[in-house]
Amino acid sequence: MLKRAFLFNGIGSKPEKLLINLPPMLMEKYESYLDDAFSRLGLNKDIEKNSAYNGRVAEWVISLICDRVVFEYYIEQGIVPDIGAGYSSGIVSISACFGSVSHEFAHDIIMMNRSTMKCLEQNNMKLDMGVIIGMSYEEASEYLSRRFSPDELIVGSGNSSFHVMISGRADKIEEALGYALEGGALKAFSFGTGVAYHHPVMEAYTKEYNDFCTSIAYSDPVYPMISGFDCRMITTGDEVMRENVINCYTPIRWDLTLKELERLGVTEFYDVSANGAVKKFSRVARGKCRMYSLEDVLA
Amino acid sequence: MRELTDQIRQEIKDMIFDYYAEECEVDRDEITMDTNPQEDLGSDSLMFVELIEMTADKYGLDIKLQSIGKYMLKSPMDTMSSVVDMFCKIYQYGNDIVNQ
Repeated sequence: MLKRAFLFNGIGSKPEKLLINLPPMLMEKYESYLDDAFSRLGLNKDIEKNSAYNGRVAEWVISLICDRVVFEYYIEQGIVPDIGAGYSSGIVSISACFGSVSHEFAHDIIMMNRSTMKCLEQNNMKLDMGVIIGMSYEEASEYLSRRFSPDELIVGSGNSSFHVMISGRADKIEEALGYALEGGALKAFSFGTGVAYHHPVMEAYTKEYNDFCTSIAYSDPVYPMISGFDCRMITTGDEVMRENVINCYTPIRWDLTLKELERLGVTEFYDVSANGAVKKFSRVARGKCRMYSLEDVLA
Repeated sequence: MRELTDQIRQEIKDMIFDYYAEECEVDRDEITMDTNPQEDLGSDSLMFVELIEMTADKYGLDIKLQSIGKYMLKSPMDTMSSVVDMFCKIYQYGNDIVNQ
C-alpha cells in the first residue's frame, strides 16, 4: 500500500527564494554541496558573473542542490517515501535522489541545457513558456485552441484545476497571455526563458541533451516513481532514463499524476522544494489528503 | 442572490485579514483597508486562489475562477477594501459576480 509520495519541483524558483527558507543547519549542507558542484562544473557562485547560458543553468543546479538537501533532511527525520514524482526538471532531481544516477550526473544533465539553448539560438527559434492562473487544463486547452494551433503553442503542463503552463512560440505566448486574461484568467505571465520545454518542437533541438541522458546505465530507483507524462509506474533504471529523455519535449499532466497517486492510496504528499513551490500550484483531495512543505516539517 | 448581513461582511473581512497576516507574516494590526495586498504585503495570485477556495468551502459556494477573473478586469484588487468588497460580492452573487 502506497501512503507517502515525495514531489520534486522543476526549475523556475530564483535562488534567493529557495535559500531564504533553509535553516542554518541545512544551509551549511547546501553550501558544502554548492562548493563541490560549482567548482567541478566551473560555475561562479556569484550567478551574475557567469555567462548568459551558464548563469541560467547555475540557477537550475542550485534548485537541484536544494532538493537534495531537503530530501536528505526528510529522510533523516524518518520521513521516507513510498513513491515519488518529478515535475519537469524535477525528474532529473528525483533520478538522483532516488539513486538511479549520481548527483554529479544529474548536474551534468542540467548543464546540457546549454547546448539546447545554443541550438535554438543558432536556428533563430524564438520560444517561450508562460503560466496561466485561474484555468484548468481542459479550460485552457479549449479556450486557447480557439485562437492558436498546436504548432504555435500548447498547454505544456496541466498542473491543477487552476494552474497551467503554456509553451510554444514566444510571440504567440505573449499574445496568449492577454487573451487568457480576457477569458477570465486571474493572472498570466511569461517566463522569458527562450525555450519551450514540454512542447514537441523541442525534440529537434535536444539531441545532444538526449544523447547525454542515455550515455550511462541507470540503476533501478530505490523507491518507485510515477511518470508525470502518462502516470505509468517506474521501477527500473531504463524507465527512469526514458523519463529523462522525453522530458524536454513531452507535455506534463501533473494534475492527473496526483490524482493517480491518490487512487493508489497516497494520502501524504511531501513537497521536496525548499520554497514549497509544488504545494502552491498542486492540489490534492481536501480532507482525505494532505500536502506538506519543508516549512511544515520544520515547524 | 444571497443576503449579505453586517455579521457576514465582518466575518469575511476577518477571514481575509487573518489569512493575509498569516501567509504574508505580518502583524494583523498593520493591515488596513488601504493596504495594497501585492505591493505592501507581497501577496501573490496563488494566495488569492487559496483564499477563494477557503471562501468557497466556508460558505458552500460553487464558483468558477474565470468569473472572478473577468470581474477583476473591471475592478482591480489594489486595496484590502477592494478585496473585501469582491469577496462579499462572491458571497452574494456567486458566478454572477461578472455582471456586477
